Amino acid sequence: MASMRTSILLAIALLVACFGMAAHLGPEFLGWRGSRSAGDILNVVLGDSRRLFANQFFTKADEYYHSGYYPSMFDNKSAFQTAHIAADTGAVNSKNEGDEHGFLGPPRNWIDAFGRHFFPNRHTHLDEDSPDDLSSSEKVREILPWLKLSADLDPENVQTYTVTAYWLRSRMRNVAEANAVLHEGLRNCPKSYEILYEMGRLYQESYHDHEGARNVWEQGVRYWLQLDSSIPGGNRPIRELVADWNARPTNLAPAQSDDKLSMEQLSTHLAQLEENAGNLPRAIEWLEAAKKVSLTPETLQNRIDLLNSKLGQELNPLLKPLF
Amino acid sequence: MKNAFAVAGVVVKELYRRKDFYVLFIVTVLICLVMASVNIYDDAHIARYLKEISLLLIWISSLVIAITTTARQIPAERENRTLIPLLAKPLTRTELVAGKFLGCWLACGLTLLCFYVFFGALAASREHHWPLQNYVQAALMHWCLLGIVVSMSLLGSLVFAAPSSNSTICAVVVMGILFVARHLDQVAITRPEPFRTVAFVFYYALPHLEFYDLRDLIIHDWPPVDWKYVSLAVLYGAFYMAVFIIGACLVFRRKAVN
Amino acid sequence: MSIILRTEKLRVEYRSREIRQATKVAVNGLDLEVSAGEVFGFLGPNGAGKTTTMNVLLGFVPPTSGAAYLFGIDVRQPIARQRIGYLPELTYYYKFLTAEELLRFYARIFGLPRAKTDQRIAELLKLVELEPAAKRPIKGYSKGMQQRVGLAQALINDPDLLILDEPTSGLDPLGRMKVREIIQRLKREGKTVFFSSHELGEVESVCDRVAIIHQGELRAVGRVAEITGGHQNLEEAFLDIIGYKPQPAPLP
Repeated sequence: MASMRTSILLAIALLVACFGMAAHLGPEFLGWRGSRSAGDILNVVLGDSRRLFANQFFTKADEYYHSGYYPSMFDNKSAFQTAHIAADTGAVNSKNEGDEHGFLGPPRNWIDAFGRHFFPNRHTHLDEDSPDDLSSSEKVREILPWLKLSADLDPENVQTYTVTAYWLRSRMRNVAEANAVLHEGLRNCPKSYEILYEMGRLYQESYHDHEGARNVWEQGVRYWLQLDSSIPGGNRPIRELVADWNARPTNLAPAQSDDKLSMEQLSTHLAQLEENAGNLPRAIEWLEAAKKVSLTPETLQNRIDLLNSKLGQELNPLLKPLF
Repeated sequence: MKNAFAVAGVVVKELYRRKDFYVLFIVTVLICLVMASVNIYDDAHIARYLKEISLLLIWISSLVIAITTTARQIPAERENRTLIPLLAKPLTRTELVAGKFLGCWLACGLTLLCFYVFFGALAASREHHWPLQNYVQAALMHWCLLGIVVSMSLLGSLVFAAPSSNSTICAVVVMGILFVARHLDQVAITRPEPFRTVAFVFYYALPHLEFYDLRDLIIHDWPPVDWKYVSLAVLYGAFYMAVFIIGACLVFRRKAVN
Repeated sequence: MSIILRTEKLRVEYRSREIRQATKVAVNGLDLEVSAGEVFGFLGPNGAGKTTTMNVLLGFVPPTSGAAYLFGIDVRQPIARQRIGYLPELTYYYKFLTAEELLRFYARIFGLPRAKTDQRIAELLKLVELEPAAKRPIKGYSKGMQQRVGLAQALINDPDLLILDEPTSGLDPLGRMKVREIIQRLKREGKTVFFSSHELGEVESVCDRVAIIHQGELRAVGRVAEITGGHQNLEEAFLDIIGYKPQPAPLP
């Protein structure tokens, strides 16, 4: 009897000690840098390896885009360094080179030759049959589950949102879902100019909301310019920022050098918007801004010259009464 | 051969009276139904991911059934001493091995039939069409692959000490072949001698199970494979089945009954 | 009288697991003949070579030298087992099968036609009193029931030669009586029964002839009365033949 009482008291004492330790260590653990307890279940279970899985599923989406014809780790992947689902959106710098149709090369032996009859052996894109007729390119929907999974696993990967939104909007005409994806992307990546660019395209091309498109594109430009911390930003009007940018010598911050395409696209789209609205001086300003990061500045210069000549023609009637 | 079929009948009975198949089938169905109920951007017509997941589960389940069922056949007969009254009948050891192979292979075929019918129904619910020729071809090739795996596992059950070690080794070998065998020659070229020669020997000697994996063609709606290549693949598989079964017969002849 | 079972200078050696001993001789030059219609007892102490001899007769173990024949056919041919029935000492059968399915399976191996199979199964289930349990899986059977299933499967092909290894081992007196009755019935039907047993009392009452084997060698063979000779009973004769000398009781 006495020994049982002792055992029970000892057990209670141990429990109290355990709870006390847990209470003492709990706050310390929460403040620990590597703590994952505040994250969602995927974060807790997978940790940083979720990004690895997210990349794999993004590649899986590209594989689905090619109906299974995709290089393995043993094949020549030079034509697939940038996923084609991303490259085909026109919003990504493609690093692809080489033959995407024949990455397998000629058959190496009879086993290889025979085996090629049993897996996809021809390069196709899911929207290949009808690039113009959207109604029959709905097969592209098949890439969506993997893009969704990739976004869930790595919510900070901007490209997943832009690519998903592009295909939802342009091929499946599911504009509402595309918009929702982009908004989710902005929640997870608040200063993403890529997402804002895609959002602007959605507003302009699908909603025909030019004002909305202008606003988000200008915000995108603001974020891009703020990659260079030496540029004073704050709440200055965008015209001022762009004017400063145009006036400064081209001296890009490393983050800006890595992604000139986004600035070029934002600027050129804004230029087009202004041109369509008849606001040629603004259009020229945007083209000047784009020229600083463009790989084909002469093309943009030609457009600037054209706009200048149009502007000149428009001004001439105004000057006529003076003479 | 009638004795072999008699033994095969007992093996099939054993499979459908054990719980393995039912558990795996129900788990497959449940997972697929859960996956099918996921809302993906409000689009109810997306089918390929579902086909991929269900085919993956079918392949895993079928390989588990094939390997574990076969791995325990003869060791269980010896351990349970049911081998003694069996071999006391006018039944040769070769007939026993052949019967075990036929039984396991037939049992795998029946499970495949159930799985593929479910798969067909699931795919049709999204795609609203049934490429019957493709499915028949895929199931046939899958069954052929299981024949090779069963014969390999049967030989392993006579070579390795325990069913668990045999199952593990067979599973690892099969997975390795499915993932890597196609590229072994590419790996061999990058290696120095003597590894290069060894890798090439494995490349040509191993059964290339990846021939029988038509999942990508099914998932992505490619046209069916020319039947002459399917026939050649079946003959190729039959050759390896014969090699493994003959090996099993030769090993079993020298084994003590108890 | 035709010879059903015959061994000629049968020798079986096993490779010994002990390092110093190269081989172990389990059976050494065994010459045995069993005629049709006999009930033949095969006796010997543990390790004498009885099971090895049976394993050779059943084709489980090849002889190192010499030969064994059943119905004039070398035991290494599967066809030699077409007309025999075998009841092992330890009866284990497929637990997932019912008694009826098991008998049907073995009947199929013997090549019995369907009608004959149905008839034999009905007869045997009645004989071994397993009719009520015929459709239950064997995994639910008691040891006695499993023994009876064993007897039924040994008789499924209506064998001309029945080989029984310790048929009454583990049975209660009622079970033993039933086995004795079956043996005597088979004898009346002209069948040959070859069995090993440690129950010398039973052997004495049932067997026509016996053979006594010790350390792999045949020590005596003949009618029970001849073997018993000047001894009180078969047990005494057995002990004398194998060379057992009882130790005198220690003085208090």
